[in-house]
Amino acid sequence: MKHNAGQRPYIDKVANDTNEYMQSLLEENHRLSQLVAEMSQKESLLQERLVAIENESRTYSARYVEVEQQNTNLANLYVATYQLHGTLNRESVLAAIKEIVINLIGSEELAVWELDDATGSLQLVDSFGLDEVLWDRVGLGVGVIGGSAQSGERFVRGESALAPTPGERSLMAVIPLKLDERVIGVIGIFSLLRQKAGFEAVDFELFDLLSSHAASALFCTRMFERVLTAV
Amino acid sequence: MKRKVLLVDDSTTVLMMEKMILAKGPFDVVTARDGVEAVNKARTEQPDVILLDVMMPNLDGLSACAAIRTDLATAHIPIIMVTTRGEEQNIETAFRNGCTDYVTKPINGLELLTKLQNILGTPAA
Repeated sequence: MKHNAGQRPYIDKVANDTNEYMQSLLEENHRLSQLVAEMSQKESLLQERLVAIENESRTYSARYVEVEQQNTNLANLYVATYQLHGTLNRESVLAAIKEIVINLIGSEELAVWELDDATGSLQLVDSFGLDEVLWDRVGLGVGVIGGSAQSGERFVRGESALAPTPGERSLMAVIPLKLDERVIGVIGIFSLLRQKAGFEAVDFELFDLLSSHAASALFCTRMFERVLTAV
Repeated sequence: MKRKVLLVDDSTTVLMMEKMILAKGPFDVVTARDGVEAVNKARTEQPDVILLDVMMPNLDGLSACAAIRTDLATAHIPIIMVTTRGEEQNIETAFRNGCTDYVTKPINGLELLTKLQNILGTPAA
């Protein structure tokens, strides 16, 4: 293509401007590439931080659940202790034992026996959801219930070597009630509520609590009755 | 802002347990010991939510739930049934009678607080 000599300066100027413009575009492109690289690096850092925060959040959530469970467990133990020692009335203590087993442990089949020193057997003093006639008296050393009263050892299904008798087949736990080391009775817990798969850590703490505190609470009501009678 | 919770149970053990669980949250607690008292207190106290036991003297929880639902003054109040029996039929009856949700005994504190939070729409603790 031919150009007029007069057009030459104009063409040179346009070529020059185009070069400058291309140069500035290349520089801008370079600057943006650097910016993109920086942003990518920042994004990677942020992603890492996000993962770290998510992990931290999961840890805190797990800890929160753990603490809430501990709070519930402590509340269980506090309520149980408070209920057992809040009265000197025998019926109220027995009602408290039943409420603890039903509402805090989760069974609607339970019985409380006291050791009758005169006959050397366990006498039923209260029950819930069981045939009272069938369980009215249990011989010391007879079956898991009588065995637990004799040995002072707790029975928990699946943990104990003791084998329940056919009549005790739904028995889940036997808690000996002990004053110091002397057994004064036992609590028998039969089948658990349907939604309760098995005993949990707090249940074992409640067993320990019932073993000593229910025993002393029942003993105190008996002493109090004697004092009242004497007066 | 504190939310008012009506706890209904004939067991002092359960009421005490529920009070201890709710003590950490922004709740004002009122109590009733049977279904009749629950229906009356729902009307007079206008709680934000009711925790209602099933097995109770005078009027059981399922009947109390239905009564609260049919009363225009209390029909809007969410009800969480607290039941010992987790059987499907029992739960179905509870929902048919108008309960909003349910928890089973032994009460799990976190589960109860979560359900309260879902219903009340604010952090429960």
